Amino acid sequence: MKRRDFLKGLVGTSYVVLSGSSVLAPLNALAASAAKTNEGWLTTGSHFGAFKMKRKNGVIDQVIPFERDKYPTDMINGVKGLVYNPSRVRYPMVRLDFLLKGHKSDTTQRGDFRFVRVTWDKALSLFKDSLDEVQTKYGPSGLHAGQTGWRATGQLHSSTSHMQRAVGMHGNFVKKVGDYSTGAGQTILPYILGSTEVYAQGTSWPLILEHSKTIILWSNDPYKNLQVGWNAETHESYAYLAQLKEKVAKGEIRVISIDPVVTKTQQYLGCEQLYVNPQTDVALMLGIAHEMVAKNLHYTQFIEGYSLGFDKFLPYLQGETDGVEKTPEWAAEITGVSAEIIRDLAKVMTKGRTQMLMGWCIQRQQHGEQPYWMAAVLATMTGQIGLPGGGISYGHHYSSIGVPSSGAAAPGAFPRNLDEDQKPLFDNNDFKGTSSTIPVARWIDAILEPGKTIDSNGSKVTFPDIKMMVFSGNNPWNHHQDRNRMKQAFQKLECVVTIDMNWTATCRFSDIVLPACTTFERNDIDVYGSYANRGVLAMQKMVEPLFDSLSDFEIFTRFARLMGKEKEYTRGMTERDWLNKLYTDCKNANAGKFEMPEFDEFWKEGYVHFGEGKPWTRHAAFREDPEINPLGTPSGLIEIYSRKIAQYQYDDCPGHPTWMEKSERSHGGPGSDKFPVWMQSCHPDKRLHSQMCESEEFRGTYTVKDREPVYLNPEDAKARGINAGDVVRVFNGRGQLLAGAVVSDNFPKGVIRIHEGAWYGPVGEDGSKEGGAEIGALCSYGDPNTLTQDIGTSKLAQACSAYTCLVEFEKYKGKVPAVSSFSGPVEITL
Amino acid sequence: MSAATTNPVNQVRSTIYQLLSSLFAKEVDHKTLHELTCTQAQEFWSQLANEPDFKADVDVLVAELAKLNSDKALLELAADYCGLFLVGTKHSASPYASLYLNKSSSDKAATKGNEPLLFGQQHQQMTQFLKQSQLQVQSEFPEPADHLAVILAYVAHISMHSSHQEQLLFIRDYLANWLPKLVAKVAKVDTGKFYIALAQLTLAWVESDIEWLASES
Repeated sequence: MKRRDFLKGLVGTSYVVLSGSSVLAPLNALAASAAKTNEGWLTTGSHFGAFKMKRKNGVIDQVIPFERDKYPTDMINGVKGLVYNPSRVRYPMVRLDFLLKGHKSDTTQRGDFRFVRVTWDKALSLFKDSLDEVQTKYGPSGLHAGQTGWRATGQLHSSTSHMQRAVGMHGNFVKKVGDYSTGAGQTILPYILGSTEVYAQGTSWPLILEHSKTIILWSNDPYKNLQVGWNAETHESYAYLAQLKEKVAKGEIRVISIDPVVTKTQQYLGCEQLYVNPQTDVALMLGIAHEMVAKNLHYTQFIEGYSLGFDKFLPYLQGETDGVEKTPEWAAEITGVSAEIIRDLAKVMTKGRTQMLMGWCIQRQQHGEQPYWMAAVLATMTGQIGLPGGGISYGHHYSSIGVPSSGAAAPGAFPRNLDEDQKPLFDNNDFKGTSSTIPVARWIDAILEPGKTIDSNGSKVTFPDIKMMVFSGNNPWNHHQDRNRMKQAFQKLECVVTIDMNWTATCRFSDIVLPACTTFERNDIDVYGSYANRGVLAMQKMVEPLFDSLSDFEIFTRFARLMGKEKEYTRGMTERDWLNKLYTDCKNANAGKFEMPEFDEFWKEGYVHFGEGKPWTRHAAFREDPEINPLGTPSGLIEIYSRKIAQYQYDDCPGHPTWMEKSERSHGGPGSDKFPVWMQSCHPDKRLHSQMCESEEFRGTYTVKDREPVYLNPEDAKARGINAGDVVRVFNGRGQLLAGAVVSDNFPKGVIRIHEGAWYGPVGEDGSKEGGAEIGALCSYGDPNTLTQDIGTSKLAQACSAYTCLVEFEKYKGKVPAVSSFSGPVEITL
Repeated sequence: MSAATTNPVNQVRSTIYQLLSSLFAKEVDHKTLHELTCTQAQEFWSQLANEPDFKADVDVLVAELAKLNSDKALLELAADYCGLFLVGTKHSASPYASLYLNKSSSDKAATKGNEPLLFGQQHQQMTQFLKQSQLQVQSEFPEPADHLAVILAYVAHISMHSSHQEQLLFIRDYLANWLPKLVAKVAKVDTGKFYIALAQLTLAWVESDIEWLASES
């Protein structure tokens, strides 16, 4: 039939006209012209930095650093890629089998999934129905809504606060203690130095630069890690690192990086490296301490006046309690550091002002409490704690710690908890004899072995029987260890709800997925300069929430409405009211000390600057008078021996710092005959944990064959026939991943690095098929937690031990699968 | 203009473009299903199947529609729709022109991570076209303007309001240049049959319409 005839034939026949409106509407001229206004620069901030943005035709166009950030990171180039990412969660979605069968769904399909779009009303009522079911059937021990993470910045829309306040208005739930970053450190250090130290302000950089003769960077890479901060970061630490670099060049300060690898900081500063075998730092420290005592280099007067229990530690050091004297020769054998160098270090550390700057990596391993404790003992033996440019810090690589603080009060946040007079809908506090708070990294243990009792920080924790998890702005399918174990655990859960902006692996393994908008699609307020409290930043909305996403405030206001608690939730205030309140409370708190304009003027201006701070020395007050200014330890002194810890009688955390062999360790340690290579999974250089991994163009600046890089020693690579740019399979008894080879002298033999935060992208065991819900699936992109070990550091902290991890690797010869991490749900045949 | 508006053939074409737009815009629900399977609709489908280029796909669509006799069947089709059009890129068939037109043809460049973003150049372009026609994307449809459903709806509009020559240029430059890639992607990743047939029918329709417009102008 001729086309013309065919079309004519259709004329006059019935048409199918579907009801409902067209996707097009007449132009609303008023709205269009309104959208055109305000195309100037707007201010906002993020973990990656504070910055300004300009829109063009309603779409974010340019991003430039905030004028007060003199050392911006190139990560802000990835911001557009976060907002307009093809893997945005666009609509509320429910896993099909969950929609059909609710809490009786086939959970082995979770991760393979088929989702359907639902309305917000439907999604939120399913969410509430699930909470009702869990609270009714199991009580609060059936619900864990306490796995929380780095969220996005902003004091009003903080995802953790909103989720926990709203879910808390429904009923009680299991919570966490500690975090993945510093679990061991923040648990042990209050016993030793009286505070977590890891999150405490440290001695100011100007004092360190003025007084230190030697700086020891112990497993610490501040030049890499200071790029991101908990609040809107403005990177002032980099000005001090630049001064340090000059002083290193002039020979005024000696900087020693004690680390198995050549760090980014070492390369920047041009400083020395002292190689140490992975996981053997405690042995090295003991060797140094032994030498200090042997040569009488330690400051007995300080030890006696400011610490407790050196006499109980000394017999161990000298081998009287265990028959092993911790001599430099003994340490050399384990650490790969020569006895001569160890002896020299003891001299260097005690002869001039020495500032120890500890990184967090060495406490993310089995017995991770020990290196932090032993380092505190070494610093005590130098007699320099409390002196400017001396002693020990556990935080100078984090969130502008060490930058003199303005001393101003920062704005508060939307409340995370219920108000005093408020009661949850299910007012039940019966956890059935199980614990309502569990160590952060032990939740998978709890799901797999409910009812089991473990030791934890001096008490007993009995695992609750968790049936439902709620995550918001948090991606545990990045930060938790051992994916295969997680899959087993998730199959036991009846319901998983995730609120996020892009399809993380956690969304993939959920039943209900709710789209939150990004930070740049809402108004908020934040402090800038992180720990320096340099000023208050207006986070001005750049664009309206994309697709069907909503702000955290709006999501949980609607949820509260479902419970009949909207007014209780919002206290009857709008987003604008809250911003005004948070700002005005801050203004009142700073009255008489820091000048702040009225809210409207502040919002127009974009920020308020508090000015510079005064240099300050950590522990100086304690040093001045330990009786008037005691530490927060039981004795008020530095505890080289902790009676309290000794009383716990833990075999893996005795009463004084101790070298203990690891369950697996490279360079001749246990398990190295089978899997000879140590994998370090440190914080990434180009992301904040898993945040920004999805930003495609920016990710393209560092990926290799579309994969996360794996950094390899040249000899190791050569021995396995691997060249730079090859796809490498890294594996052990726990899992397998593909990554792209970067061959570099910065990495010693037997050590590889894959940055954590690489998005999990399972593709099925042989890599040939889609899916990946099954145990043993290959990660197509290179998530190192496919390989890590899910064990506690010790009975004390029960923290994450990602760094106790051995692997093997080979050139990948199979058909290289497409990366499946950034694509949202994958279709499977049911 | 007025001639085009009253031209009954153009009215038919516009209606078909509108129908295709609606089917790509959202999932099939009970109401839509009724409208697609009522007697009147069956007449329409059989008329459409008279054209050999459309017959196979129309037959599949009609057969698939007949199978949608339960809530579960509708939900399964909604899950197909979701997996294809509402999430992700690489394992789905996202319905945005920008994802097909900006993609570098060389694999090497693709591995550099230059995946195009949403709300890019094509979205801006379509927004301008809509504006010129005193139109905008409906607020209840919170999608970029380079979504297939928007472009099809726009062709439905210009079928009634623009010259054949203008229609031909628009369809060639802004729809036919990426539609085959989208259809190939749907065919590759769809686990059901409905959306493959719909996508193929759409392509066949657009190709035949180009042919007709070319012969008319």
